[in-house]
Amino acid sequence: MELLLFILPVFFALSVLVMPQSFVRVYGLLGGLATLVVTIGLICTYNVEGGMHLFISKNWIPQYGLTLNFGYDAVSLMMLVLTSGLVPLILLSNYKNELASNRLFTSMVFFMQLGLIGVFVALDGIWFYIFWEITLIPIYLIAWWFGAPERKAALVKFFIYTFVGSLAMLASIIGIKAFAPSFAYGDLIAATFESKEVAFWLMAGFFLAFAIKVPIFPFHTWQPDTYTKAPMAGTMLLSGIMLKMALYGMIRWMLPLFPEALDCATTPIIVLATIGVVYGAIIAIKQGDMKRLFAFASMSHVGLIAAGIMTASVDAITGSVLQMLNHGLVAVGLFLAVDVIERRLNTRQLSDLGGLAKQAPKFAFWFAALAFVSVSVPFSSGFIGEFMLLKGLYSYDWIIGVVAGTTLILGAVYTFRAYQLSMYGPVKFEGFSDLHWSELLVFAIIIITVVVLGVYPAAVIDFVEPSVKSILELVTTSTPSGL
Amino acid sequence: MSVAQLLPIIIALPLLGAFINGTIGKKLSKMVVGAIATTVMAAAFGLALTAFFSVQHGNAVTVKLFTMLKTDSFSLNAGLLADNLSMWMTLIVTGVGTLIHLFSMGYMKHDAGYYKFFVYLNLFIFAMLILVLGSNYFMLFFGWEGVGICSYLLIGFWYQDFKNTLAARKAFIMNRIGDLGLLIGLFLILAKFGTLEYGELANAVLVDKISISEWMIFGITICLFIGATGKSAQIPLFTWLPDAMAGPTPVSALIHAATMVTAGIFLTVRSNYLFELPGADITQDIMLYIGLATSIVAAFIAMRQNDIKKVLAYSTVSQLGMLFVALGMGAYTAAMFHVTTHAFFKALLFLGSGSVIHAMSDEQDIRKMGGLRKKIPVTHFTFLIGTLAISGFPLLSGFYSKDEIIAHAFTHGTWLYGALMFSAALTAIYMFRLYFVTFFGTFRGTHEQEHHVHEGPASMTLPLIVLAILSVFGGLLNLPGIWLHGQAHWMTQLFERNVAGMNALPKHEGDSNLALMLMIVAGAMAILIMIVTYVVYGKKGSLPVADEQLKGWEKLSAKKLYFDEIYDVLFVRPVAWMSDKGSRYFEGAFLHRGVVGLGQAIGKTGDLVRKWQTGRTDSYILWMVFGIVGLVVYYLIYKN
Repeated sequence: MELLLFILPVFFALSVLVMPQSFVRVYGLLGGLATLVVTIGLICTYNVEGGMHLFISKNWIPQYGLTLNFGYDAVSLMMLVLTSGLVPLILLSNYKNELASNRLFTSMVFFMQLGLIGVFVALDGIWFYIFWEITLIPIYLIAWWFGAPERKAALVKFFIYTFVGSLAMLASIIGIKAFAPSFAYGDLIAATFESKEVAFWLMAGFFLAFAIKVPIFPFHTWQPDTYTKAPMAGTMLLSGIMLKMALYGMIRWMLPLFPEALDCATTPIIVLATIGVVYGAIIAIKQGDMKRLFAFASMSHVGLIAAGIMTASVDAITGSVLQMLNHGLVAVGLFLAVDVIERRLNTRQLSDLGGLAKQAPKFAFWFAALAFVSVSVPFSSGFIGEFMLLKGLYSYDWIIGVVAGTTLILGAVYTFRAYQLSMYGPVKFEGFSDLHWSELLVFAIIIITVVVLGVYPAAVIDFVEPSVKSILELVTTSTPSGL
Repeated sequence: MSVAQLLPIIIALPLLGAFINGTIGKKLSKMVVGAIATTVMAAAFGLALTAFFSVQHGNAVTVKLFTMLKTDSFSLNAGLLADNLSMWMTLIVTGVGTLIHLFSMGYMKHDAGYYKFFVYLNLFIFAMLILVLGSNYFMLFFGWEGVGICSYLLIGFWYQDFKNTLAARKAFIMNRIGDLGLLIGLFLILAKFGTLEYGELANAVLVDKISISEWMIFGITICLFIGATGKSAQIPLFTWLPDAMAGPTPVSALIHAATMVTAGIFLTVRSNYLFELPGADITQDIMLYIGLATSIVAAFIAMRQNDIKKVLAYSTVSQLGMLFVALGMGAYTAAMFHVTTHAFFKALLFLGSGSVIHAMSDEQDIRKMGGLRKKIPVTHFTFLIGTLAISGFPLLSGFYSKDEIIAHAFTHGTWLYGALMFSAALTAIYMFRLYFVTFFGTFRGTHEQEHHVHEGPASMTLPLIVLAILSVFGGLLNLPGIWLHGQAHWMTQLFERNVAGMNALPKHEGDSNLALMLMIVAGAMAILIMIVTYVVYGKKGSLPVADEQLKGWEKLSAKKLYFDEIYDVLFVRPVAWMSDKGSRYFEGAFLHRGVVGLGQAIGKTGDLVRKWQTGRTDSYILWMVFGIVGLVVYYLIYKN
């Protein structure tokens, strides 16, 4: 059944190309749901208490140390369900767009899903790298084909940036192989390095790739431009799922691979990520373009997740998994809200907007609900996630905890500024039509999921925690190789 | 039904009301919507009464609903706790809440967002009940933020006016500053005790007496207090409360006078045993001074405000300040007593002002009122009772509750007594000024308004009358010892019975002669001020002048001591500046330019390298020869 994770996206990506135009939208949704059903099935049958469920494990090209190792634990499963849940959601939120009936677009989304799924189940360094790179192609093409007219410079920047990061990671993966018999996850983890410096520089390669993708301050300058120039579906894929690859990579690869280097690398990374939390929030406050504003907001939110992961504490990492789910859902919702406005009015400049609440009460309600959820109010999963992350950061160093905690305040500032300037005040446009059923459905699914997880977070926490513990055991028990 | 079964129902009722009205309220008639919202409240109050009577003499009841999350280091439970403190707060919240719901049915009758208003009100009650009934700090925090959200929604209820939404945002952000403090307090408690459950915490402190460093206790208590300054509008986070008057008047009565703003006091009383530990005495002092400063500053500002609701808002801030003085002295019961009576008379005053505003066709400036005494007699009479109660007129509820705090202050230090009496005197002055200017003299509104002045429907007058009765007799809840031949007060006994920490407090035995003397002084002062203000504003009919003509202290008062302007310069503008310049220069010029520059540099290098790629074999061979020669030289020189 696990192989369906690969087969289904490939099948739909190819078969959608020959579907009649009028059927593409529905077909895309069906394809997304099919993978979701498989993922849920995997979650229900997962019963290895915190362990890794390997579904393919064999040698591939032994002389080069290449293996075929694929498997998942609870953390992977959460990422898988996020991916396979968001893909139909993103397709659904584009239901009203012309884009949704575009075969190439839908095909690219499924290729993207293939890459993402591969990243989350790959347990071989080279395969991890391959899938990591595969995701770049569809997202690049989506943005290139369907993005804003002035997208070229931004996309080149995005491509170079992420590619440099990926190459650094590849170099590191090959570098570790020098200390291990094969590229298999277990072998790479067991590798010990000759000196702390080696571990540090090998880690730097991984860090560069992840820091760019997350993005962690100051590696973020590709992000606002790419987010604003990409079509909305591309932005949703980027912020909703793609950056989770990097956060997942930090948990699965970076922490267990280089325990030797952690003691000198942790604090600088946490500090950078925390700077990003505050920096992103402050920059977001005065942005005039809503999409750009939420791009910086997203940077602020994921900075907190990255910082929490680096504390390498069970609570914080468990919280980070919950927060990744939450952020994926909420980011898709917020960008959809921006898109709802842009589709109807062809602008997303706050200075042009105003008074929409009066004309579109349903939109006003759901956007408001999203605004609250995105500032992590209680009864939303964001609250539990931030609570656990901040608690972890706080016990790591109280000053960092307090500084990162200002996101509570600054988040309220930029979110409600954006909301109020667009929805309240004098009416500037006539005839703003209220939500289409597909848009409403997306908002409702997001809010309901987030609230359910906020009231009963144990559903995720209990599921994930054993796996987080076994990952962290790798971090602590790896022998620091005679240093 | 047992209390354990009652509690979840009490909480669920307002949520049910909000759900019904939120889903189908739009289609229902206004009458039905209001009736649903008010009925669930009344039912909740009834059940709360039952629960109160069964808990009153017994032990506290804890109900665990479900585990929200559990990790190795901590667990967070959705649980409820009924002891005399939480039940007392529940009674206030649901009781006063019911009356205000009833009032709103008449007050909001012509509003287009009628059903939405009741949804928000019910949701607020739900959040407030979680706050007071939760069995741990985590639940408290849930309610704490929940009431903040509802407060935001209700302040910005009339969002067509952008000013209102700004006030709402300000309230939300300022509250969040406090929330961050509280959250850190929770982290500290978790780090030290490993639990957030009140019961386990009290057990650790009072029974096991585990040793805690003074710094830790100071840290915990100061963080809790920072949280309280946000929600209970203390210096420096008080400026949102007067702005919050942008919301409909019943909201001001319910949230910004009777219930939500007392959450900070509830939090402190709930954690009283922490505040009594060594190390917390610094926090107590800070609390006392901040409370005192807030009390006087707010009373001073209220002196020259002319918006009927603004006066009451600053008055609320001032009273809350006084409550924190009480908490700073460790007079928890006195604080709870004053919270109770304050809920009665301040809700009464706010609803009264709402009735006045309703009668005056939405006019709020007292300079344009006058002579309303005869025109709206019920409102007038009940407002008078409210004014007398808050001013400390003898034998009314405010007289007893305020006097208890002042008596504590007298034993604490004469200067403190003087300062509190000063604050109380200011309170009496601005309240009687408000009353006389509004209800005495001649009518100063427009002709149209005069024609339209009318008393509200019964749904509005009935709550006024009930609250007026409570404001008069509320003092009986905790009559001072001299009235009871030295026996302990009813409320003191109530809170000592099953509220953790309260019975471990040192007993405060005031000298009854002294208490009597202080009462006479306070009562005489209130009467004297009433007479003087009557002469000035009632008889002579002098009117507040326009703000521009004010000089000296009057101008300072009218301009609210320039707090908003100072905060603007200190906080708002720097952040806006950073955001603006940061995105333009740091993000745009520095980082962006830097990356682009790097790219260009790489491009240039590429160009340079490309020039070598001539495509001519002979030049490649030439370079190869150079290379080989170079390598040979290198090995010859360095490796040997």
